[in-house]
Amino acid sequence: MEEYSVVVQNLSKFFKSSSIKNLNSKFKQKGILALDDISVKVKKGQMLAIIGFNGSGKTTLLRTIAGIYEPDMGSIEVNGRIAPILQIGTGFHLELNAKENIMNYGLLIGIPKKELKSKIDNIIEFAELGEFSELKLKYYSAGMRARLAFSSALQIDADILLVDEILAVGDRIFREKSFEAFSDFIKKGKTILYTTHSLDKIYDMADQVLLLNHGKKIMIGSPNEVIDEYRKMTKD
Amino acid sequence: MMNIKIRFKGTYLGFAWAAIEPALTFILLYIVFTSIRSRTEENFAIYLLTGIMIYHIFSRGTLGGITSLTGNRGILQSVKINKEFFPVVSVAATCLLIFIEVGVFFGLMPFFNFIPNWTIVFLPLVLALLVILILGLSYILSVLHVFVKDIQMLWGILIHALFFITPIIWYVKDVSGILLAIHKINPVGHIVELAHKIVVFREVPVLSEWLYALAFSIGIFFVGFMIFIKFQERIVEEI
Repeated sequence: MEEYSVVVQNLSKFFKSSSIKNLNSKFKQKGILALDDISVKVKKGQMLAIIGFNGSGKTTLLRTIAGIYEPDMGSIEVNGRIAPILQIGTGFHLELNAKENIMNYGLLIGIPKKELKSKIDNIIEFAELGEFSELKLKYYSAGMRARLAFSSALQIDADILLVDEILAVGDRIFREKSFEAFSDFIKKGKTILYTTHSLDKIYDMADQVLLLNHGKKIMIGSPNEVIDEYRKMTKD
Repeated sequence: MMNIKIRFKGTYLGFAWAAIEPALTFILLYIVFTSIRSRTEENFAIYLLTGIMIYHIFSRGTLGGITSLTGNRGILQSVKINKEFFPVVSVAATCLLIFIEVGVFFGLMPFFNFIPNWTIVFLPLVLALLVILILGLSYILSVLHVFVKDIQMLWGILIHALFFITPIIWYVKDVSGILLAIHKINPVGHIVELAHKIVVFREVPVLSEWLYALAFSIGIFFVGFMIFIKFQERIVEEI
């Protein structure tokens, strides 16, 4: 199993409907199967792209792999340290500046203080925040927050990156730079799980593409065949 | 630590607010009560101040505890983290508040020519009981707030009522009937009474009084922690 960094087996995740009416219906538990019997394996040094419409379960899958959600059924095996970049800038405090936020965020995901201190300048430099780094985060644009989140997670010496459509708000230069960073990361034998709606990039970057719809695995395979299938679905 | 820093960031007086709030309440109530009563009990000012201090720590502490999970929605949804840790952080912030309030407490004593006697060494013990109680309630309230948002409004009202059912502006020896019955089952009331005894009445509370308050605090703490553990798996999805 060591060659795999993430192994997901028969994973299901159910979200209950929160309406009080449903408390009466004892037999039928109403809600949504956000993930329905998903199995996927990702090898070390590979990138898995996850595509699908909004609400298809992409984020839920990443969150469950990150250990934020508990699986209702099935199992998840993770070999290595995970750096999650889920949702833009959540986990950041708007009243603190970039440096304070990096420290805060890093400590939260379990990076020792010393290690963080030595990397803080690299993070700010990669995010190209420059003079903004002393500014409170409430003055940042969504793109700048995303840069900070992305740079923090990248500099932290993780083995598996979980990236949830975070680059969509970055400008073109930063996106290019991020994809280069992805390549370097992969070359080091590390793993990336990446959800996205921008399909062009994953043609040459992803080793496998997973297509989800309504929580079900529609297809997994090479970028070409899966993206073709997705394009067909879009036309229907 | 971040919690405290953030709470006062952007305010001009910063940490001083923790001291100003109870001090103003005290001054206001002291003026009112010395005006409507021709004569007050000995050391009424310190009696009032003791009650206000404990009450204020309790209300700030639990109100902070309620939102300790819901206020950190972003963090909970983006990293895997021990959830038990959030109410503890909120209560750690409350402990800092305690230092400030105790400072105000001793700072105001000379103005009323009050010198505490040795029994005041028990004050940390009383405050420790208070902290355990706040932590226990924070566990219950924070997890309830994830599922039922109304709890915050409800608790606000209960806290308001608590001011009147706790011996802050009245003496236990003067009350009877319903108020006395309520007082007997009010854990905050017992902690306030312990504080009154060691500070104002200069006596050492008997063991049974300590045990009664301790049983309340520890009991609520354990119940709170069990409830928290039971529901913690569902916290992130429901938040």
